[in-house]
Amino acid sequence: MKAGIVVFPGTNCGRDTYEACRFLGWNAEYIWHNKSTLKDYDVIFLPGGFSYGDYIRAGCLAKFSPVMTAIREFIYSEKGMVAGICNGFQILCESGLLEGALTYNLNNKFICDDIELYFEGEEICLPVAHKEGRYIKPKDTVINDLIFLKYKRNPNGSDDDIAGLYDKKRKILALMPHPERAVFKETGNTDGIKIFNFIQKELNL
Amino acid sequence: MKISAEVKVILKDDIKDPAGLAVENILKRTNIDAESSVRTGKFFSIKTFAQNRIEAMEKINKICTEVLTNPNLEQYEIIRIKEE
Repeated sequence: MKAGIVVFPGTNCGRDTYEACRFLGWNAEYIWHNKSTLKDYDVIFLPGGFSYGDYIRAGCLAKFSPVMTAIREFIYSEKGMVAGICNGFQILCESGLLEGALTYNLNNKFICDDIELYFEGEEICLPVAHKEGRYIKPKDTVINDLIFLKYKRNPNGSDDDIAGLYDKKRKILALMPHPERAVFKETGNTDGIKIFNFIQKELNL
Repeated sequence: MKISAEVKVILKDDIKDPAGLAVENILKRTNIDAESSVRTGKFFSIKTFAQNRIEAMEKINKICTEVLTNPNLEQYEIIRIKEE
């Protein structure tokens, strides 16, 4: 497995994602956001953080970085998968690569907590940390088949308790919780490994 | 010609606005006005150049649709556009 981890100005979960990949025995390297060509990767992560200070809207300005054009080509050529975590999910929605949009949590709070989720027929627990995590589903498209992760107790007002979803071709996957923060046993929770394994399974590697 | 424009961006009517609701709650609690309905939004002041008024409108609309708003969430209104 070879992972590329995109770093925008303001990304702050790149290192966590990098270390999680390495821990799982994957190759990993950072990709600075002004790169307009990409090497071959199995998966490209858009990690969490506050790209461009989340000015205007979360993920709004990051979508104009050169790397996003390269990522569109990467997706189009079906070379591998793209995985968005938290701010990465917001960037993918802003770019139109995923359906719907993310906006302010209904309770007006920055939610930083361990959250129970439904994933692949089981209950898991992952950390969340976001203020703009309320998923608004598109009006004219049915996305039921694209949801792979749901909140057990919806913390932010997301439509249909959606915490993570795919694009139609299942080449892009994004979620608001932070699996990379639940990989090492020292953090008290290793459920994040299940998400990384899931990505590997999707890639048949 | 030199153009200056002012743009208002606000959530669409069917998207809940938690910041607006927080203000409404304060208005109720303080007895300032229990009947107010409040929506919050963003304001942008843009200065640019254009050959004529039509081109100016095109430029401002492009900025609004491609950068300032997310069509899934928000709507915008050009409050004022004038030659400087």
